Amino acid sequence: MEWLTPLSGIYAAAFAIPTLLLLYFLKLKRREKVIGCTLLWKRAVQDLQVNAPFQKLRRNILLLFQLLAILGILAAIAGPVLSLDTAPVGRYVILVDHSGSMNATDIPSSRLEEAKKQARDFVESLRGESFFGVKDNADQAMVIAFNSSSKVMCNFVSDKKQLLRAIDDIKPTDGKSLLKETLQVAQAFAQSPGVETNNRSSLEPAKIVLFSDGKIIGVDDLAVGSDVIYHQIGKEADNLGVTAMQAKRSYEHPEEVSVFATIANYSETEQGCDIQLSIDNNVKKVKFASIPPSGSTELDSKKKDPGKVSVSFSLEHPGAGVVEVRCIPTNDSDNDFVDYLAADDAAWSILPPPKKLSVMLVTEGNPALESAFGACPLAKLEITNSNVFIQNSDNKTFEDTAADYDVIILDNTLPEKLPRGRYLIFGEPPEGIGVEVTGEIQNQTIVDWRWQHSLLKYVDMNNLYAAKCVEMTLPRDAEVLAEFNETPAISILRRNGSAFILAGFDVMDTNWPFETSFILFCYNSMAYLGTEMDTLDKANMLVSQIIMVDDLISQKEYKIAGPDFDSEKLLASKTGAIRFSGTERAGIYSIDIPEKETKIFAVNMLSESESNIAPANNIEFSDKEVAAQESAAGNSNIPIWPYLAFVALILIFVEWLIYNSKMRL
Amino acid sequence: MAKTLRKITQLLEPEFMAKLDTLDVLSRKIHHGRLQGERRSRRRGQSVEFADHRPYVVGDDLRFVDWNIYARLEQLFLKMFLEEQDLTVHIMVDVSGSVGSNISDQAADMDMREKYIKKLAAALGYVSMVNNNRVTMSTFANGVVGQLANMRGRNYLPEMAEFLLSATCSGASNFDSTCKQAVSGRIGSGIMIVLSDFMFKEGYEQGLRRLIGQKYDLYAIQVLTPDELEPKISGDLKLVDIEDSDTAEITVSSALLKYYKRNLSAYCNELKEFCTRRGGVYVLANASDAVETMVLKYLQRVSLLH
Repeated sequence: MEWLTPLSGIYAAAFAIPTLLLLYFLKLKRREKVIGCTLLWKRAVQDLQVNAPFQKLRRNILLLFQLLAILGILAAIAGPVLSLDTAPVGRYVILVDHSGSMNATDIPSSRLEEAKKQARDFVESLRGESFFGVKDNADQAMVIAFNSSSKVMCNFVSDKKQLLRAIDDIKPTDGKSLLKETLQVAQAFAQSPGVETNNRSSLEPAKIVLFSDGKIIGVDDLAVGSDVIYHQIGKEADNLGVTAMQAKRSYEHPEEVSVFATIANYSETEQGCDIQLSIDNNVKKVKFASIPPSGSTELDSKKKDPGKVSVSFSLEHPGAGVVEVRCIPTNDSDNDFVDYLAADDAAWSILPPPKKLSVMLVTEGNPALESAFGACPLAKLEITNSNVFIQNSDNKTFEDTAADYDVIILDNTLPEKLPRGRYLIFGEPPEGIGVEVTGEIQNQTIVDWRWQHSLLKYVDMNNLYAAKCVEMTLPRDAEVLAEFNETPAISILRRNGSAFILAGFDVMDTNWPFETSFILFCYNSMAYLGTEMDTLDKANMLVSQIIMVDDLISQKEYKIAGPDFDSEKLLASKTGAIRFSGTERAGIYSIDIPEKETKIFAVNMLSESESNIAPANNIEFSDKEVAAQESAAGNSNIPIWPYLAFVALILIFVEWLIYNSKMRL
Repeated sequence: MAKTLRKITQLLEPEFMAKLDTLDVLSRKIHHGRLQGERRSRRRGQSVEFADHRPYVVGDDLRFVDWNIYARLEQLFLKMFLEEQDLTVHIMVDVSGSVGSNISDQAADMDMREKYIKKLAAALGYVSMVNNNRVTMSTFANGVVGQLANMRGRNYLPEMAEFLLSATCSGASNFDSTCKQAVSGRIGSGIMIVLSDFMFKEGYEQGLRRLIGQKYDLYAIQVLTPDELEPKISGDLKLVDIEDSDTAEITVSSALLKYYKRNLSAYCNELKEFCTRRGGVYVLANASDAVETMVLKYLQRVSLLH
């Protein structure tokens, strides 16, 4: 059973029942009187009734009160609304930002709660259906909650209760706020008739009502088209947050752990804070850092960048673990700094157990590679002939064999299929990873390379010359690290759970083996694939990314626990995979796998845009600039009927009192 | 004797009785009485008033032979006299529930009408009896409930007082059946006095029609209380009929009171017209007035007493 309008019922009951009781009392008040004969009285009453329509309305205070009371009730039933804002009947898309920055507590409770409250007020102010079910004049609205993705909470309806429920259902997340997808969704819905069509033209433009702090990424190349009403939520900017964090093991000394973190200060004052490093909830180190105020490093005062401090820790940790970096503002007595956003105060990273790499080098004989990788600190280097490798690749046990190696280096070898793994490929790239080989070109020199990338750390590629190389077109998501004149030279590509470092040339066709940079590149590539590519496991991820676990028993239920829920059941697919998209809050997620060890995932906010909680007064879309509404979304349509009903009740009460006093006369 | 005298004084004060002694009941018609009385009759009979002579026939009483005529004419003639007969007075007293009730809340007025009616009945009975009329007194409600028949002379006064004082007002009224009983049990003709409020739901016409006629000289005395004549009530009331518990829910307003009064006067006028058209006399009495005034003034004016 569902009550669509429980409040109306309660109001009606609250009015009707006392009235009924009053009338009951009034009826009881008819005094009984014994007389000799009722004959004449009855005749008199009959005469009176017969003549009543022709009687003049006598001056009767009771009648006056009764009339006023009835007028009040009738007016209440007619549903008058005090319209402070006389907007025409319309369709509204209510967008509620529930990204990370909306969790800031500069407004009591949180910004999201305030946004929801204002959204509720807005919904209350819509013209609803009247008592008599005339819906033509009712406003329609839909509710979308958005962070980096959008969630339609409620399609176009004019039922306020449904809209209010949809708003109540919006939950906080730590995601980024992006509007593009949301606007597309909103426009798609706006052009299709809602649940209640009411013959309303779907072309009627829907107004967008945005409840946000205005920290929305990428709005400047976004055209909204329709009208946007922006309600800015939030006041303060004071926040301290971890905006970057990484924990990795040294490639050379795997027990050594280096943790890097960047702490950003968004307040106007310099702020000291303790940065605490803990592994598996055991505090290992604490560093104090004084973080400069925002805007201190920028010349352009309009666009304030936060003050940032990078800290690094290095310690020895022999086992696996969860690394946590947490910044704790130190409050001086003369400093009223309040860290309004708690979600970005900590970041986590999953530290894999220390491990040296097992590497397979597949080549027809390449002394440069063999000697270079032989010099790397590896657990095992297996050199396999290309032909053997290609033959073996048809075997069923091939995948298991390949799985024994952390990295496989392919030197001019093109097997038909590659098992999942991490590859360093020299020469022509394999098929099926989206790289298109368009031909072979000659005499190429390096024109640019990303020297900051960890793969090319200390690698000077200035002198690299390739007599011939593969000309290829990379898919869009490939990361190009070095470029020849006409084609990418070195790139990183992730496909189907595998990672590839593609070097589109045979090292023997270049002068590279004679350069020191070649040795460094080989070293770096092993370190990169061995350590940084741990992200292949996707143990370290950002909010809203999907947790993926493969190699599970198909159709079996697994339990996942997260920071905002204790246990949720997940059913593995037929292929034995689990996909969990509910990583809306930053924190540690764990999937209990009975047959293996528990998988732990660190979901971090690590977003400068979300940590920057300073509310924006204007949102600059590409087609227009939208200023925040000066007043909060208030209830512009105030229903008057409860007051009328109350006045009617009072009138009836007064009438009753007067009547009683007359009775006593 | 002392006991009974005390009882009649509960109804009539001695001074009032003294005034009543001078009065007599007057009938506008000459009725046939039964016994020799103080009233002239059409019949020839024994009295001092000479009427005519007629020839003697065998069997006539020799005492009435006019011997003077015999001496002159030597023929026997009988002297005939106008016979003086008594007058039958039938007083019907309403003792139904409505008589005992009063719309007023004040306890003193509760049985105002009852007292008035009994006192008036006693006064009329007194006047009739002391003048050697034959008085029959009946009380009625739902039919005749009590009767004292054929009282004559002062000796019956205590009995009459006892009868009136012991009558209690209760029960519904049925005027038609009352009249039926009264007429069927009555012998002879005379004066019929009805003391009542005449508020009969089934109507008074049928009953009065039985009482009115050549034989009877009807006096309808309607006794109403001041609250019936000028109601002083207010508010929303549920009026309950004392006789049949019928209810009338009213909200007192000036309009309602206006209609009530209009109805009351119409009712009284109808009754009056009904009576006068049939040779009866209608008198409206206000129970708050003194019975003395009624008897000594109004009843003389309508020639019931002289």
